[in-house]
Amino acid sequence: MSTVTDPANSEVYKATVREKWDHALHRMNGDQPGISGLMSFTEAWTLAQKFLWPRDIRHVSDKLFFDQAVLKDAFQLIAKSRMLWILVECFVQDLRKQFHIVIEEVEGFMREYEATTNVEVIKNMIIRLAEWWKAWAPVQELGSLLLTTFNTEFQTHLFSALSPSFPGAFKRLCESTVGSEQDPQLWMAFDVIGLLDRYENLVASVCYEQIDNRTHETCAGVWNEQMLPGLRGWMADQIVPWMILPYARAAKTQEEAKNMLSGIGTRFDYHVCKSLCDLRTSEIFDIIVDYPDSSPALMDLKECLLRVDMRGELVSTLRRLNCKRLLHPGADTKDIITQYVSMIRCLRIIDPPGVLLHKVADPVRRYLRERPDTIRSIVASLVGEGGDFIDENEPPQPLQMQVEDYSDPNWEPDPIDAGAEFRTNKPSDIISTLVSIYDSKDLFVKELQILLAQRLLAITDGKFEKERRNIEILKVRFGEAPLQVCEVMLRDMTDSRRTDQHVQAHRPTILHPTIISKHFWPALQASKMKMPGQFKEIMEEYSKEFAAFKQDKKLRFLSQLGTVDLSIELSDRTIDVTVPPLEAAIIELFSDNEWTIGVFDKDKWSVDELSKELNVDATAVRKALETWIDRGVLSETESNVFKLLEEANGEATSQSRPVASRHAVIEEQTPIVSSVQLQEAEQMRVYWKFIEGMLTNLGVLPLDRIQTMLKFAPNYTRTIEQLGVFMEAARREGLVTVNNGMWKLNK
Amino acid sequence: MTASSSSNEGAGSVTKRLGNELMTLMMSSSPGISAFPKTDANLFDWVGTIEGAPGTVYAGLTFKISIAFPPNYPYVPPAIRFDTPCYHPNVDLNGNICLDILQDKWSAVYSVHTILLSLQSLLGEPNNASPLNTDAANIWSNQEEFKAQLMKHYRPITSETV
Repeated sequence: MSTVTDPANSEVYKATVREKWDHALHRMNGDQPGISGLMSFTEAWTLAQKFLWPRDIRHVSDKLFFDQAVLKDAFQLIAKSRMLWILVECFVQDLRKQFHIVIEEVEGFMREYEATTNVEVIKNMIIRLAEWWKAWAPVQELGSLLLTTFNTEFQTHLFSALSPSFPGAFKRLCESTVGSEQDPQLWMAFDVIGLLDRYENLVASVCYEQIDNRTHETCAGVWNEQMLPGLRGWMADQIVPWMILPYARAAKTQEEAKNMLSGIGTRFDYHVCKSLCDLRTSEIFDIIVDYPDSSPALMDLKECLLRVDMRGELVSTLRRLNCKRLLHPGADTKDIITQYVSMIRCLRIIDPPGVLLHKVADPVRRYLRERPDTIRSIVASLVGEGGDFIDENEPPQPLQMQVEDYSDPNWEPDPIDAGAEFRTNKPSDIISTLVSIYDSKDLFVKELQILLAQRLLAITDGKFEKERRNIEILKVRFGEAPLQVCEVMLRDMTDSRRTDQHVQAHRPTILHPTIISKHFWPALQASKMKMPGQFKEIMEEYSKEFAAFKQDKKLRFLSQLGTVDLSIELSDRTIDVTVPPLEAAIIELFSDNEWTIGVFDKDKWSVDELSKELNVDATAVRKALETWIDRGVLSETESNVFKLLEEANGEATSQSRPVASRHAVIEEQTPIVSSVQLQEAEQMRVYWKFIEGMLTNLGVLPLDRIQTMLKFAPNYTRTIEQLGVFMEAARREGLVTVNNGMWKLNK
Repeated sequence: MTASSSSNEGAGSVTKRLGNELMTLMMSSSPGISAFPKTDANLFDWVGTIEGAPGTVYAGLTFKISIAFPPNYPYVPPAIRFDTPCYHPNVDLNGNICLDILQDKWSAVYSVHTILLSLQSLLGEPNNASPLNTDAANIWSNQEEFKAQLMKHYRPITSETV
């Protein structure tokens, strides 16, 4: 059995302990004789500890004085004895022990702040904390280890003691310093207790918010001047001086400050641009509405977009706003086009290559294509009727085909954010862009003819110069060939005056017709009205003269068009009026003159009789009758029966009906020339006849057979889908039935 | 060479004439008569439909006819025959028709439209002096008996025939 020896008693252990002891003693004692070294070390240690002790500054107002030289020697001795780290450890312990005093104070301040929300309290607290810091911090000369350790400890304890409401309070405090007299001491205090490092983002956000507020206050809704220079000026005057303290405290010279600020300055300049860009993007729709008054705002936006990449946001915002505010049934087509044109102009300012425009325009163009009156509105503006789409200063250009010219030495690739189907859109004029909404310009030419017809027929004083000028301009745009028809129409107008003069020379008559060539004019409103009495005679005589003058041509009157100057002689009064032909025809039936006596010996006419006599439908007759009743020439003796008032009926005129209804009757005008839609409906009527014919004779047919058979119909260009829609409509009306895709007439 | 080109030209103008006639016919909206090309490939072969005029023994009956235009139309009349059996003094059992304007009295001013109108009136007013169907001519005076014979021969059109 072996004896268990206590390791502490073993010789080896004892030797080790002794050696350690000697080593430690030697470290503290140094090479000094005896223990004098140890003595001086103890002295130095005590001094150092006393110096570093975190005193309660509330009570010890008189600061202990230390001889810097002695202190330095003491610390050097400790450092030499390699005991500094132990000293630091002790210092940390002391700090921890004493920190509760600070925390008590901080809690007091925070309670007060939470009760009053007065940022002054926070300010005082921070200054006080700085005092604590100053009192406790070891001086720089004693080595950086001490100072950094102290800072870390101090901040750790402080921040763990601060309540959650502190960051908000601190932010408010920072805000309160903007624009007021700067207090370098306060910022120094922020710095020493480490607030600036910890809350750097907060300080920056104060700046950002200042910028955002400023932007919204001064720039919102102000589009008639460029705001960016002003904002930058404000930054330079207000924000930059403030920024010196948080960001360039350490600067000694102005040059140095400038360098220190340049980095942070770019960040804030970026934010200025972003803030303005955000604002303008949100306002973009109204800016476009206000164009051209708002062009300075657009210049701002352009400059901002160079700095901030917000093109995507701009596009999506504008698309969204367009959908919400423009592309809905409540908006007038003309307004949509006007806005679209403004949009083109505005986006050209912001982005000359047109990528933005291309991205935004697509839904608008698609929507416009669906509107039935788009062409009409565009054409109306082409001939200068309402709308200011055409810039007077813009010389008319031929419509441009969008073909890329790669041989162009100035060719540039598409911008990087251009979509796949983006076409380099040469800054062509507005009209080309509008016309390009549709795949072909034929539609425009067609509508143009209709509009021209209306305008020409409305001219009574023979002044066609304006129309001629319009046509010349349009020729430049659309080319000569498509406008040949318009030329003929214009010539018809002048020719008919000449023809009229010739006829008048042979047989003077009061009738001055406008003679148009049927084939070159759009379909005019069809009417089979028969003019009675003297009108009939005058027209027949004119026809005879015309036939003698132009033997190869036949005159066919469109008697419902034009106006008639009448002088109606009644027993007690004479009435001079200018009325449409139907009104004249009606009053002729009531009158007794050499043409009507013996033919129409009636003094009372019913609506149906008039309608039959004149071959005009009853509602039109009724309307025309209203005109005469309003003028006190006719009266309705019984329901739908009318009689001439040979003597003015005072009673009748005095009890005239409300003015509004009268105007409504007179002013209602039916368009003279059928629109493209009506013409299409007319065409469809022809095609229906063919369909009816083939189904009658061939029995049942599938849709594709009908489609191929319709090639016998003149100018048939519909697709089979369109035919399908049409047949479906016919089925709903009960004209045809369909069974297994086979169509059949419904008998 | 010259001959063939001139005949092509001729065919072109005939096609044009037939196209115009079709258009006129479609837009004429004369009640009870109609015609249309059988296929879109051949404008020279038409199907016609004639309804008996009201007030005649043929009222309410519908007859299909076939119309074949010669290449030198309209200088030569089209060949027309009834496809629906038609018991009529001037129509034989094969559907051949005896009508002066379709033979010696033909003129280029006539058109499909006038032919159809003539045929429609021929139904109600036969020319019993030159019958193709003598039986029918003989009993024409007895409308009741005629009607019975007519209905015996008549086959209503079913739309599925084409």
